[in-house]
Amino acid sequence: MYMAGETLLGDWTQAWRVTSLQPTLGQSTATMYGRLPGSNNAAGGGGGAGIGSGGANGGGGGQGHDKLKIGFCTDLDKSVLVNNFEKRGWHQVNGDDDWHFYWAGVQTCRNIFSVDSGYRMHDNQMINHFPNHYELSRKDLLVKNIKRYRKDLERDGNPLAEKTESNNSSGNRYLYLDFVPTTFVLPADYNMFVEEYRKFPLSTWIMKPCGKSQGAGIFLINKLSKLKKWSREAKGPFHPQIAKESYVISRYIDNPLLIGGKKFDLRLYVLVASFRPLKAYLFKQGFCRFCTVKYDTSVTELDNMYVHLTNVSVQKHGGEYNTLHGGKWSVQNLALFLEGTRGKEVTDRLFGAISWLIVHSLRAVAPVMASDRHCFECYGYDIIIDNALKPWLVEVNASPSLTSTTVNDRILKYKLIDNILSVVLPPDGVPDVRWNKVPSADALGNFDLLIDEELAAQDEAQNSTTTTHAKASKMGSRWK
Amino acid sequence: MEELQDASIHHMTAKVISAIKTTKSYEPIYKELQRLACSPNVDPIDMRNTLEDAIKGAGLETEIRNIVYNLVRSRLSKPDPTATTKQLSKTTLSDPLGYLKRAGVLWDRRVRKSLNAMCTELKVPLHGQPRISADREDFMAKWNELSNYSMDLANYRPVYAPKDLLEVLLSLKGPAKTTENTDEIPQWEFSHIALPVKNLFELRTHFADLLRGDGYLGMPDLTTQCQRILETRHAPMCQQFLKKGCTPAPYRGALWAAVLDSKLHDYDIEHWQKLRNTVWTTDHIVDKLVFKDIQLTASNDDQYFVFEDVLYQVLLCFSRDTDIGSCVDYEAFPVKGKTYEGPPSGVVPFHGICMFAAPFCYLYDSPVNLYYTFRAFYIRYCHRLTTINTHPQGIVSLCLLFEKLLQTYEPQLWSHFRELQIQPLRVVFKWLMRAFSGHLPPDQLLILWDLILGFDSLEILPLFAIIILSFRKESLMQVASLDNIESILADLSSIKVLPLVQLALSRD
Repeated sequence: MYMAGETLLGDWTQAWRVTSLQPTLGQSTATMYGRLPGSNNAAGGGGGAGIGSGGANGGGGGQGHDKLKIGFCTDLDKSVLVNNFEKRGWHQVNGDDDWHFYWAGVQTCRNIFSVDSGYRMHDNQMINHFPNHYELSRKDLLVKNIKRYRKDLERDGNPLAEKTESNNSSGNRYLYLDFVPTTFVLPADYNMFVEEYRKFPLSTWIMKPCGKSQGAGIFLINKLSKLKKWSREAKGPFHPQIAKESYVISRYIDNPLLIGGKKFDLRLYVLVASFRPLKAYLFKQGFCRFCTVKYDTSVTELDNMYVHLTNVSVQKHGGEYNTLHGGKWSVQNLALFLEGTRGKEVTDRLFGAISWLIVHSLRAVAPVMASDRHCFECYGYDIIIDNALKPWLVEVNASPSLTSTTVNDRILKYKLIDNILSVVLPPDGVPDVRWNKVPSADALGNFDLLIDEELAAQDEAQNSTTTTHAKASKMGSRWK
Repeated sequence: MEELQDASIHHMTAKVISAIKTTKSYEPIYKELQRLACSPNVDPIDMRNTLEDAIKGAGLETEIRNIVYNLVRSRLSKPDPTATTKQLSKTTLSDPLGYLKRAGVLWDRRVRKSLNAMCTELKVPLHGQPRISADREDFMAKWNELSNYSMDLANYRPVYAPKDLLEVLLSLKGPAKTTENTDEIPQWEFSHIALPVKNLFELRTHFADLLRGDGYLGMPDLTTQCQRILETRHAPMCQQFLKKGCTPAPYRGALWAAVLDSKLHDYDIEHWQKLRNTVWTTDHIVDKLVFKDIQLTASNDDQYFVFEDVLYQVLLCFSRDTDIGSCVDYEAFPVKGKTYEGPPSGVVPFHGICMFAAPFCYLYDSPVNLYYTFRAFYIRYCHRLTTINTHPQGIVSLCLLFEKLLQTYEPQLWSHFRELQIQPLRVVFKWLMRAFSGHLPPDQLLILWDLILGFDSLEILPLFAIIILSFRKESLMQVASLDNIESILADLSSIKVLPLVQLALSRD
């Protein structure tokens, strides 16, 4: 792959400016290199001034719309957001003022869309959530939607819903759509769970509260009696909050792929610009989150959550958390390692399966999503890879953390926000719902197109001879 | 003339034959040969031809060829040690590089002396001590997760860091210096060292294969080419393939092992187990230094931290491997004074030594595979980067090459550095000494190391350092302090090795 000198030049001029703030990891103890920034804000300011936009803000925030000064509003006071907005020449306004771009918390979003508020968005406004994103981000609803999606396809005789023939102990699994671990909602599906549990008495199950995130309230179960005990306690007078809450219980992936003997999960960023037609993009710079403690399946370790949960918010409290890398390893490095040690074919298959999983999880919720043209959303996908290199969808987060734990993390998240903005905004940089939402190749930045049903349909119409392949070509996965 | 050639071939053959007999692979090959000679295919009447065919058929020929190739490349290219000692006393005074060799011996001595001093200070023995049984059991149990093995390292620090070696290099003085007018020779230049180094033109010739367009139409794709080459098992062909700088990642491990002759044999696995047992049973001060180094470097590196446990195993075994000492060549020069003992391998761990092994984690899943290729790479290349030596690819020559290239290739930058009174070498030395490991992202670093192996030369390192400076010249010209220069050069994550090297070599 050749790169023109100019392209490279552009690339690094962006990069070096931030490096004055960047400590050089793993280098000599001598302090002759960069220093760690004193505070989040100071560093963010430097980043904001320095990191280029990747040529994505074509036209900038004002040209051609000289009259329109874009006002942004944000519920999160994060430097990666504010710096990106200000770099585009936007000015900050209040939620009550006339805003054009709102980076909102889910509650604000709900208020804006609620019938009671009487708020009606105009054509030049955009917001970063879909009103009912919880169809994807709530653990119980995600599972419900995927189950329904598979049943619908099966009823239609769609080949995607094909099942394994065998009547072995694992039952009939879906051949192509088996990407979430077996999951039940408690207390509603308790009897179904018990039935499944009896089939596989040796497996471990993981309990998660439906509405919580960042590893809160999660625990493992390997005996039915433990669940019963928990249930009794929950019904007791001391834990009224648990009783109200519903939980999901999922088969625990007890054969995860280990690298360097350590367990990890993947955090990938998926941008959905529209659900109907589905337009989704995958950010190339995802990362693996590593446990800081060795993986050990012995029962004594069952209660040590540091071993099992890879959430940074959990790991941060562990004694061995490293602030230089934060336990994060890039997906590019994972691919390089897998290609080098396992071969290209299996690596490509894994990453293909990951794209497949994302696309079908989105299709599963697309029919129930309120696909408002003012909305877009960036999801944090949590995926676990097992030792057969099969990816499993663990959960989807509608408000992935924008807190930066390391310097590289900040660079990554700054780039993520920048690329999101350039994908969801029309070329002139002014929010406009009438835009056809077909970003140029340049505007994609580090995003790869996962699927664009509209473009796929156009291709089909244009070239009816290759209809079957047209869709597939729009769903290609290019990771490197 | 022909007679002379004949004689030299005979001489070489004799050398190769005697050298083969000392290799570990000699015995298995000899046994295999005996087996072949007894096989029904070999006709006692036409012994010569039929045995040759059998040797070829069994793939033994390729194996022997590879051994010869490797011997010629490494051990036999060295001057005969007995001859050198004889000459030594005679040439000491007249040798213009005598002071450099002397510095090499002194540097090695100084490093060992600090290790000894550390032992005395911390009251730990220099020699390995048997581990007490509880410790041994703990160590064995945690062998696969040594990051969980706890020991108190608060009092240990690296024996030396790149900075220390740099200071010594910068203070190297030729014998002529004292008599000449010192004003004329800047204190911080290398140019006075009389080692021959290539100029840009010669480098272009050396790396000419990099600019060669890839073949003709109908050439199979890289993966197929690579598979076919690996099937032939010919080390020189594997080496040639690496020169392209676009090795498919899945085949890199096999290609490197072929070029470095580090494919695993049964005796290698036994040797590895023996080393591991030595680590389990003896406690050595280098263990602490290895742990300290990994904790200071790889464990904190976002590219390599996941592999820390593999690196513990590899570097601990490395420290016990006495084979290394016999493969590595040290400068020999008679210098009076006390000599000091080192660790079993002869290599005193320094700050960042594990970064030489870390990139191999992306190539091999098993520590034993990783170990042998890393060890061969270390012996052939890395070692020359951490000792003062007169080798044309030793660190001194590379520093000199860097300075000369900068002067001729980027005179503007050269004078900019000069005006600022900053030695340009200070800025790039850490790259050179670590062969860019930990500085370039792994995918790019592996390409750079492909080129080192392919062209069998470390000269790519100073060349690449120049390329980066030249590439960031505009920004460098705008700043006036060492801190700012270093911050411009701190992040190499956007650097692409192959296009930049090709650009630099093809530029008029």
